[in-house]
Amino acid sequence: MRQQPANKLSGKGLTVWQLYGMLQTLLVLLVAVGAGVLAYLFDWPFWVYIAAAAVTIVYGALFGYVFPRIRWARWRYEVRETEIELQHGIFIVKRTLIPMVRVQHVDTAQGPILKRYALSAISISTAATVHSIPMLAAEEADELRNRISALAKVAEDDV
Amino acid sequence: MSEPRYKLHWVTVLVETLKALKDAILPLAVVLFTGSRNNNTGNWFLDNWSLLFGVVLALFLISSGFIKWRRFTYWFEDGELRIESGLFVKKKRYIPFERIQSLNYTEGIFHRPFGLVKVEIETAASGSGESEAELTAVTREGADRIKQRIAEGKRRKSESGEGLPLTEESSEETAHAADRENAGRTVFTLSPKQLIILATTSSGIGVIFSGAAIFLSQFGELLPIAKVGRELTSLLKFGVLLIAILVFLALLGAWLLSVAMTFFSYYGFKVSVTDEELIITRGLIEKKRTTVPLRRIQSVSLQENPLRQLFGYGRVVVHSAGAAGDGSRIQLFPLVMKKDMYGPLQEIFPDLDIRDPDGKLPKRGRRFYYRIDFFWLVPIIGLLSWFFYPYGLWSLLLIPAVIGFGMWQHRSAACRITGNQVTIRARGFGLETSYTMKKRIQSAELRQTIFQKRKDVATIHLNVKSGMGVHDVSLRQMDRREAEQLLAWYEPGERS
Repeated sequence: MRQQPANKLSGKGLTVWQLYGMLQTLLVLLVAVGAGVLAYLFDWPFWVYIAAAAVTIVYGALFGYVFPRIRWARWRYEVRETEIELQHGIFIVKRTLIPMVRVQHVDTAQGPILKRYALSAISISTAATVHSIPMLAAEEADELRNRISALAKVAEDDV
Repeated sequence: MSEPRYKLHWVTVLVETLKALKDAILPLAVVLFTGSRNNNTGNWFLDNWSLLFGVVLALFLISSGFIKWRRFTYWFEDGELRIESGLFVKKKRYIPFERIQSLNYTEGIFHRPFGLVKVEIETAASGSGESEAELTAVTREGADRIKQRIAEGKRRKSESGEGLPLTEESSEETAHAADRENAGRTVFTLSPKQLIILATTSSGIGVIFSGAAIFLSQFGELLPIAKVGRELTSLLKFGVLLIAILVFLALLGAWLLSVAMTFFSYYGFKVSVTDEELIITRGLIEKKRTTVPLRRIQSVSLQENPLRQLFGYGRVVVHSAGAAGDGSRIQLFPLVMKKDMYGPLQEIFPDLDIRDPDGKLPKRGRRFYYRIDFFWLVPIIGLLSWFFYPYGLWSLLLIPAVIGFGMWQHRSAACRITGNQVTIRARGFGLETSYTMKKRIQSAELRQTIFQKRKDVATIHLNVKSGMGVHDVSLRQMDRREAEQLLAWYEPGERS
């Protein structure tokens, strides 16, 4: 069995993913409340209330708690001298291998929410594909970006 | 610097105008059509506004074509091809010779009588179907001069790096040598018989089937077939027959048109190869000459659709990093007997291992080739059986069909690693065998769902550059250990 990549994401990443999930749940809640109001106004059957509540609760539980946890636990990365290896995915576990020689450039990006938590995401571009490592501590991300770009510069094509 | 500046041939005006007209044909047609309806208000301008509009637009297009021709100049300076164009917004584009990847030539109907060509200049940046620069119409001598100056410039650059001064004579000599070399060896031509097979079995058939399907769906609404069956009056019979004949004629016409179009565009198809590039020439009315630098080719695949596979035919496609002209998927051999393919292919790519892949997939992953289809299959069958009760049950026949097809896909799939090359064969509908070198794979991915994990199989995806995008070479349901071996083979740090 192939070894898992060594590094995990920042612990705060889990919090942020759960926060995202909560925000989405809020939207679902709005729709559910809307359905409830309509049901009240137009005398719809009682199960409409139950369905709306159930959908909101299930959605919240899955997207606000379960999925972020699985995603966070699954996410691994490792930057070695000659390649980068990623592992992620909730239902489909994806193991990605990017040789350093193929790396064209590396970016870090930070939105307002990530900034609050001092997190940052890295995206690694090859000539054809873009791969990203989300939810890294900001300093770590900067350091990693510099390291990858330095390694990509010296990596030699030997094939 | 008094480098001579060159202009395009005046046919440019015509070509550019027609091109602009073609792009504007739809709005123009709408305007003319709507305008031709109400024309009796008495006011001449109101009656003929669409005509006026059309005339003004045509004048505008012609004058913009004229301006484009007048303002367009190109010249060679400081190891660059420089182009200046535009009236109000002046555009200057300087392309260093060493950045130019290839030159493509097209001779349209307006070019032919004057011995002109359209030259498209492709650089590494031109990936999204657009070439870096386009010289709409230049004379043959002009095109040759461009080619020579670029080749010369490139050579001077590479030699000046070694500190060798270049004399005028030797440059001339090498230029001639380059010319001779540029002719290349012909490795593949499409015979007339193959051309006809290609034209008649081309994708046009698909268009016709879909056209027929669309028409039949319309037709079915117009005439409730069941009712018609019961009470066919002779008149109706005649009507149906007439419509059927018309439909048939329309389809035949569409098919003939597609045959003719394929025939014209692939007429005289020829591939020749030099040390550095592939040259593909084709076309009867519009002659095209596309150059593909060999080192930009990312992947080679052999595609066999079931119909052609039955007769031993297939086609060979290469994916290139550049994409001007025909896009990044270039038909190398549009139609070829599979047994005759290996010779020319080996001549173009001497390092390629063209043996068929023989690593078959484990049987335990076979179910995944059709199991996923039940997601759409079950609801469809359920709905059909429910709403069209007795006859809808026939849809149950879809189940063995889908399972059989999945098993066929599983049986066709195979993989082989030799040295730095991986050969993967997989069936979508047609069979595709991809030959890819390790250094052309930009990244690799191994995927496993929980179900796959239980059966110890995995799916592999290899991402290869194709134009600005990705060509995904993938193989589903490989043995997990073999998939991991493939990943390890790809891993640069791994020394096995």
